[in-house]
Amino acid sequence: MVAVETIVGSRSSGGASAGAVAPRTADHLIASIPTLWLAIFFLTPLAFTVIFSFGRSTFGGVELGFTLDNYATALSGFYGATFVRTVIFAASASALCLAAAYPVAYFIARHTTRRRTLAILLILIPYFSSFLIRVMALHMLMSRGGASEIVLNALHLHAGPLDILDTQTAVFIGMVYAYLPIAIVPLFVVLDRIPRPLIEASRDLGASPFKTFLFVTLPLSRPGIATAVLLTAVPMLGEMVIPKLLGGSRGVLMGQAIASQYLQSQNYPLGSAMAVLVLIAVAVIVLALARLTKGFDEVTA
Amino acid sequence: MSTEGARIGDWRSRIPDAALFVWYAVAVFFLFAPIVAAIIYSFNMGVVNKQTATWTGWTLHWYPAAWYDLSLRRSVEQSFVVAFWTALVSVGVGAALGYAMVRHPAAAVRRLLAGLTYVLLIVPESVIGVSLLLFYAVTRIPLSTATLVAGITPLTIAVVALIMRARVLTLDRRIEEAAADLGSSRLTTIRLIILPQVAPALLAGAVMAYTFAFDNLVVSAFLTTPQVNTLPVYLYGSLQYGPSPAVYAAASAVFVFTLVMLGIAGLIYRSSRRPPAAADA
Repeated sequence: MVAVETIVGSRSSGGASAGAVAPRTADHLIASIPTLWLAIFFLTPLAFTVIFSFGRSTFGGVELGFTLDNYATALSGFYGATFVRTVIFAASASALCLAAAYPVAYFIARHTTRRRTLAILLILIPYFSSFLIRVMALHMLMSRGGASEIVLNALHLHAGPLDILDTQTAVFIGMVYAYLPIAIVPLFVVLDRIPRPLIEASRDLGASPFKTFLFVTLPLSRPGIATAVLLTAVPMLGEMVIPKLLGGSRGVLMGQAIASQYLQSQNYPLGSAMAVLVLIAVAVIVLALARLTKGFDEVTA
Repeated sequence: MSTEGARIGDWRSRIPDAALFVWYAVAVFFLFAPIVAAIIYSFNMGVVNKQTATWTGWTLHWYPAAWYDLSLRRSVEQSFVVAFWTALVSVGVGAALGYAMVRHPAAAVRRLLAGLTYVLLIVPESVIGVSLLLFYAVTRIPLSTATLVAGITPLTIAVVALIMRARVLTLDRRIEEAAADLGSSRLTTIRLIILPQVAPALLAGAVMAYTFAFDNLVVSAFLTTPQVNTLPVYLYGSLQYGPSPAVYAAASAVFVFTLVMLGIAGLIYRSSRRPPAAADA
């Protein structure tokens, strides 16, 4: 064995003179392709937004400089209220999404065996249909004279026409609907990885199923909870389609407010400042979730 | 497996089990209801060519109507073109990113690339959209299909990179080392040893990127022009006048097409190895 290793070793060291440089060049080349592409089409545009947020809007143009006026405007009056409403909205809709998704993920992870793939597919398939069509159909289902009205009236849960469209409730339902699958998947992955012997050990040591859930399963699923919240709350902060279609004029959230600064008012600096505020809110969420998963080593490279 | 199931059944009372199943069934119903409604309403006659919640009778009229609606058809074609190029670019750049995240010799570079990938996933699309609009406006690059594709790629690159990373992590590094010891350059090793092994994962990534790009609305809404108008943006615009049932017909047809594509990709991926990299979602 030693002899073989020596031979192999000497051979590799013989090729190393040429090989030692070449792999590194190749590695740098491979790493530089995505870095360059993303630097141009992702980081630079974001940097523009940050720079513009400190600029001043003039007639038909932007004067770059350093002023915090845009932030003052974005945090006061109508825009400030929209920002606060958006943050509260994203937090509560994300929490509701999590609450709805957890039992679903738990069911798939613990109570399906052979039909597990099917159980997950049923959750994922709707996600691959056109997002816009789903929201439009939801609009139709919730409208006056629509299916929900008929069903709710038939079940005597509601009487008369249903006036749910163009309210915050409709936006809420739409958000939970749109982001439910994204919340279920990471929860399922984490719950599925919890070793069953742990659960059985807890049970053997005398814990009730409820206690086992509370003290074993729930704490161990923290990374999944963090990912689910991240993947739902963050896009909700910037969501602009659902509020527009289901909330009408009463449901304006940050995404729409930013878009209208760019597309209608042409006030790029104010729009940029609002976009940066959304990014700050995202960063706060990420930091808060990082605390939640403290102690879990990411099993990544 | 069945004995294990039975044992669990013993110590759990049956009621929570049933409740969980009902909750799952309700969730699936909730998720499918709008899609089923959209498909059903694509057969609705509608009122003066507008879709309404009122059922006015069955018709097959809207499928040919969607096919012969030239602006609708043009937008579908545009979506196919944009999705194709986005998938192609995302697979190239995303594969390099996913590979470098695992195999780059410097740990700092690996961490930096992984961090960048997660940032791609957590910046809200509307922020990316306005930033790109600003970027193209300042640099005076005229909006075109290429600028739209470039704008959608950051998100799809992240998806491809995560799938690629999950696959590369499962590869046996010793094979690559053996190839290097035998005098193979890094690029030859990638071409002859890594690529054949990751090809199914890349195909799965390509399909995901394609689907995302085809359905992308938010970034596209900022970057489309009358000349470059994808299906979701066209539909979004048409909502102001009230959507025609033809819109539902077109969407239903595209949905069936997407499912077939996903099914084929899933079969190819599955026949190669292990379930998809849901672990990184």
